[in-house]
Amino acid sequence: MVWAITAAVIILLFTALLIFNSLIRRKNDVENAFASIDVMLRKRYDLIPKIVETVKAYMNYERELLMEITGLRIKALSQGISAEDRVAVENMLGRRLTDLLVAVENYPELKASANFLHLQGTLNEVEEQLAASRRAFNAAVTAYNNSIGVFPSSLIASMMSYKRRTLFELPTEIRQEISSKPPVNLV
Amino acid sequence: MDSYSNFREFYEKVLRSDLEEIDRERRKVRRQVLIILAFAAPALVLEIVLIPGGTSFPKAVPIILTSLTAMILLGIYGRSFRSEYKTRIISRVAAFADEGLTYSPDGFIPKEEFVRSRLFLHSCDQYSGEDHFKGKIGKTEIEFSEVTAKYLSKTGPGSKQKEDYYVYFRGLFIIADFNKNFKTHTVVLPDRAEKLLGKFGQSLQSFTGGRGELVRLEDPRFEKEFCVYGEDQVEARYILTPSLMERILAFKNKWNKDIYLSFLDSRVCIAISMYKNLFELRPFKPAADYAFLAESLRFLTLLIEVVDDLNLNTRIWTRE
Repeated sequence: MVWAITAAVIILLFTALLIFNSLIRRKNDVENAFASIDVMLRKRYDLIPKIVETVKAYMNYERELLMEITGLRIKALSQGISAEDRVAVENMLGRRLTDLLVAVENYPELKASANFLHLQGTLNEVEEQLAASRRAFNAAVTAYNNSIGVFPSSLIASMMSYKRRTLFELPTEIRQEISSKPPVNLV
Repeated sequence: MDSYSNFREFYEKVLRSDLEEIDRERRKVRRQVLIILAFAAPALVLEIVLIPGGTSFPKAVPIILTSLTAMILLGIYGRSFRSEYKTRIISRVAAFADEGLTYSPDGFIPKEEFVRSRLFLHSCDQYSGEDHFKGKIGKTEIEFSEVTAKYLSKTGPGSKQKEDYYVYFRGLFIIADFNKNFKTHTVVLPDRAEKLLGKFGQSLQSFTGGRGELVRLEDPRFEKEFCVYGEDQVEARYILTPSLMERILAFKNKWNKDIYLSFLDSRVCIAISMYKNLFELRPFKPAADYAFLAESLRFLTLLIEVVDDLNLNTRIWTRE
């Protein structure tokens, strides 16, 4: 009888240890995925001044749009911005950059500029990688949320004070623009 | 590429006379084959009946020798015939499908490339192939061939050990430039476990076979058909955008075969499992058969279309 109880306790402890490790792993996956989004967002911040500088000389009628993009970049980079506000600003920034690339269609000289084409290729690349990082983050959060939501791991998760994480929502139209189709067809 | 409807004209004007010549040759060969068989068969019967059993002279020797000679002669005739058809006809069908496409009847995708794709976990102990096509479609370098890969299985103890080769892949293997740069390895495999066993099968997928981590993607239809492993979760998603997943699904439905994809060194390797031997002449049917040749062209076109199917010519990212 004592042996049976000891064996049951050992099995229970071992299972708890496995769950504990798996929860830590999932939480780390979420952190890593968020870090990769941050890297891509920073790449985009670095790219924006170069794009604005290049297109400014050609675009006479889009001053407002360019100012808005610059303003959004400053806002996203500002200290003390809440995570939720930052997501909203990033989404808006993505949308405005797409608008800018659409507006380029009206400026044939700009469209032909090698410097701009290079910047546009780089921006497409960053946007594509950003979309991938967001999707990886959402997949990691879903796995994490599932594991803290189901029994018995939910018990251990509550003991570790693990809370549900919010998905990185991406408006459908942006998601399609970034992931399914390039913003502007260069081919 | 010339339009498909022009193929009839191309067939009549360019290929037909050559095909008829090959057909004449084929009939000649068939006669020779019949003569060989006419001599070999009675010889075999006589050898079996007349050579007495139980003597010191081994009865099997002349029988094996006669059979071997007949088979070698048949092989030589058949081979000359086959290469004639491939070099004269299939190479021109390839040029018709796309001017930049070159064809080598005996060439194939090197074994190293096949192994490096890590699409199959078996060791590649015997490898062969044929019908190698290579060219540039738009901006995309592409090559493909038929390949067969076998593994060696040893059964039984010690000196009685039996060695057998088993086929684990037979079909088409394509290598094409991908439109994005990437550094890690991602594979997309047919998902048999999930299809057969549902949720339980999904948990079996965690066995990655040294191909990185399991990558769970958002598209449920894609997840039902395929299982993805990658060395980097983000890069796997950078490659497999929702639009590419959609395209891969359509590609799979178009072929209706098991499809395997490996993304490595900014290239994509695609294996299409298929037992049909393409681009071969049927020895007992006429070569000058439009429908048969049109089918070869259809397969060739399908293979070239992989560039459009997976949108490989769109280079809007940093890769030129």
